[in-house]
Order: sequence, then C-alpha cells, then structure tokens
Amino acid sequence: MEKNNEKIDMQHNDIINRSKDFTLLEMLDRVLNKGVIIAGDVVISVADIDLVYLGVKLMLSSVETMEQLKENKQ
Amino acid sequence: MSENKILFNSGSFEEISEEMEKLTNNEKSKLELGPDNAESGLAKLVLTLVDLIRKLVEKQAMRRVDGGSLNDDEIERMGETLMKLEMKMEELKKHFNLTDEDLNINLGPLGNLM
Amino acid sequence: MGKIIYSLVFVKKDSEKFTKLVTGMTGILGAKLSVVFFGEIMAVVSDLKKTNTVADKSNVVEYAKVIEILAQQFTVLPVQYGSIMESTEVIQNMLERNYSKFYENLEKVENKVEYGLKVFCDSKKIKKELATKLEPDLITKPTKNNNPSIYKEYLNKKLKEHQFEKLLLEYVDTIIQDITVRLSKMNPIHKFKKMESESKIIDAVFLIKKSKQEDLITTVKDLQKKHTGLHLMLTGPWPPYNFVNITIN
Repeated sequence: MEKNNEKIDMQHNDIINRSKDFTLLEMLDRVLNKGVIIAGDVVISVADIDLVYLGVKLMLSSVETMEQLKENKQ
Repeated sequence: MSENKILFNSGSFEEISEEMEKLTNNEKSKLELGPDNAESGLAKLVLTLVDLIRKLVEKQAMRRVDGGSLNDDEIERMGETLMKLEMKMEELKKHFNLTDEDLNINLGPLGNLM
Repeated sequence: MGKIIYSLVFVKKDSEKFTKLVTGMTGILGAKLSVVFFGEIMAVVSDLKKTNTVADKSNVVEYAKVIEILAQQFTVLPVQYGSIMESTEVIQNMLERNYSKFYENLEKVENKVEYGLKVFCDSKKIKKELATKLEPDLITKPTKNNNPSIYKEYLNKKLKEHQFEKLLLEYVDTIIQDITVRLSKMNPIHKFKKMESESKIIDAVFLIKKSKQEDLITTVKDLQKKHTGLHLMLTGPWPPYNFVNITIN
C-alpha cells in the first residue's frame, strides 16, 4: 500500500518538474524571440571602442569575438 | 512568478517532447557563440533558404498538376525536374552533415520557415 | 558599458508605487534597476558591466523574471532580450521619437494578458482518416505511351502528399473556426500559426482580460471534450510578448 503511494508521489513530482521545465522553455522562447526589438542591428561603442555587436537574430557576441572569427578565416 | 504556467494539458509530456526539443534548440541557437558555430551556421542558413525555395517551387508545381492544366509531356518533365532537385538537396545535406531538423532554424520574425 | 532595457511601462498616475517597486528590485547580475521616462512611458533599465556575459541562460531567466514582476502590477511592453543602448540620453531620445507608437501599443494591451494554446494531433491517426478521402492514383490520363515512368510515380507520390496537406489544412481551419467562435465573447485578439510540425497543428496566442481566465480554461476543456483526437495545452498568463509589433533601430 505504501509503495503505491510512493509511486504516485514520484509520478506527481515528475509531472510538476516537467511542467516547470516546459514553462521555463516557453518563457525563454518568448523573451528571446518576441517583444519590442530595440537597436536591432547595431554596434555599441564606448569611448570609440567597439564593445558589443548585436547581429540580427543570429548572434550576440562581443566585438572581440567577431574580430577573432574574421582573423581565423584569413 | 509562478513556476508553472500550464493551465490545462491533456497530452502526455512525451508528446510535447518534440516541442520542448524545438524550443531548446531555438534557445541554444540564440545563446551559443563561438568560432565553431559560425561556419556551420552559415551553411545551415544557406541550405535552409535553398530548401525553402525548392519547397515553394514544388508546392506551386503541385498546384498546377492538381489543377489539371498540364499535358502529359509537361507532367513527365515536371516529375523529372522535381525529383532531381530533391535528390540534389539530399546530396547537399549529406555533404554538410545536416539533417532536416538542423535546417528548420528559427529566423526570428520570419518564424520557423517549414 | 551600456544599459539594457527590460520593458516599457505605462505609468499614468501610480508613479510613486512604480518607483517604489523598481527601486526594490535587482536585474541581471545584481545590477540595480532604474527608470528612464518620457511622458507617461517609462523604460526600465539597468547598467550592464561585462558585455560578454550577456548571453547566458541564467541572465535571460533573471531578465524575464523582472518583466513578470512588473507585468503583475502594470501595463508593460516586454522588450526582447539583448536590447542595449549606450546611455539614458539615447534611451530618452528613443522614447521621444517613438512615443506615439509605444503609446498606441500600450493602450492596446492595457489590462490584458496573453495566453497560449497549442493543439497537437496524433498524425498517424489523422492521416488514416483523411487518407480515405483521397482519390486513388491521380495521373490517370490516357497516354500515347503507356510505360510507367519513375517520374510519373514520383509525381503521383508528391501529388498525394499535396492533396493530403490540403485536406489537413481544411481540417485545421475548421478547428480554428471553432476556437474563434467559442472565444468571441471574451473579445480576444488572436493569432494562429498552423501546422508548424506534424503533430503541432495549431499554435495560438490570445490577448484577453485576466479576469476571463477561468472562462478560458472552461472553453478549452469543452473543446477537448468535443475533439477527442486532439491534445490541447493552455499556458499563461504571460506578459503580452506576442502582441508587440515594434522594431526600433
């Protein structure tokens, strides 16, 4: 009798965890792909030093990484 | 914030595991950086667009065939061309080691293309 | 360094309540939240110290949680993750230049929340049902030369797939029609995506008043009873991510 209750508890917890996981994924999907898009494709610089490159939808990286990528290809 | 926003779910989670995988891949493709990703990312993008065009052409061809406006000869040539296009696409995918799932990337406002 | 923007908030009369809420919160990497405002619209921002730590899952989660908390008490337009501007001056200019766009959008979502409905079907089962409606071998025109050709076979196969898709689309449209009719009394704004995958035939979002939540759940349960071959999943309430259509460069 007790073993059955344990099993049901485990299944219940499993469902709760999966629900939380799914909720998290849905939330990430929204915040990464929806909403107001500000400064869609821009290089942000401070004191004339380029710091952040926001490539539309594909990459979010530091300009350093981008420069390195270019260098590696040459 | 409540950690669980599922208000009603009649399916099992096995069923939506496909959905979860897609969301996870989207998240990964947005957050992952690195030199390794850049090149295969480009191949994926190019092939996705090529495959999209191929599928659109195929759809339009099917509408013509369905509509009955093509003669026998045209149907034969259509079949040959479409089949060869599809085979070529498979070759390209193999060459770049990409699967159908790989090509279904999320292009932001354009949504999932296929 | 720059400032990351979390969301735009409509603060008409409750500015004290709002400031109190914001000053009590922290954003990504423990940075304090502050406000840049123009007119009745406030942008919630925080300083961003190390730019190369921006793309990190836990940061994104924290960012989203800030939006959630704001949305519980105010009308907000969620901003997509990664929206960074150099300074408060630049942000203020941006607010001023786009004020009417933002204002309009905020009015549209005022006092409303978003719910998501996904509809899954057992594709094999549906395929069987719909296949009975498909015509048999289609390219049956009498030909001069009756040799079977692999190209004709290929085309036949493609045509069957195409016709099957047409039938499936018609089926999906009837379900969407059903959903729309049942929800109409809640005055929703709705958006539908069809057939994103073999099993997910509908992905919909609705913008309605939060007070209608129980009504919505009941409607979904009724829909489920009617369409036993389908599986439904309702999520929410969410801040209105899908009902924002502004891009600013």
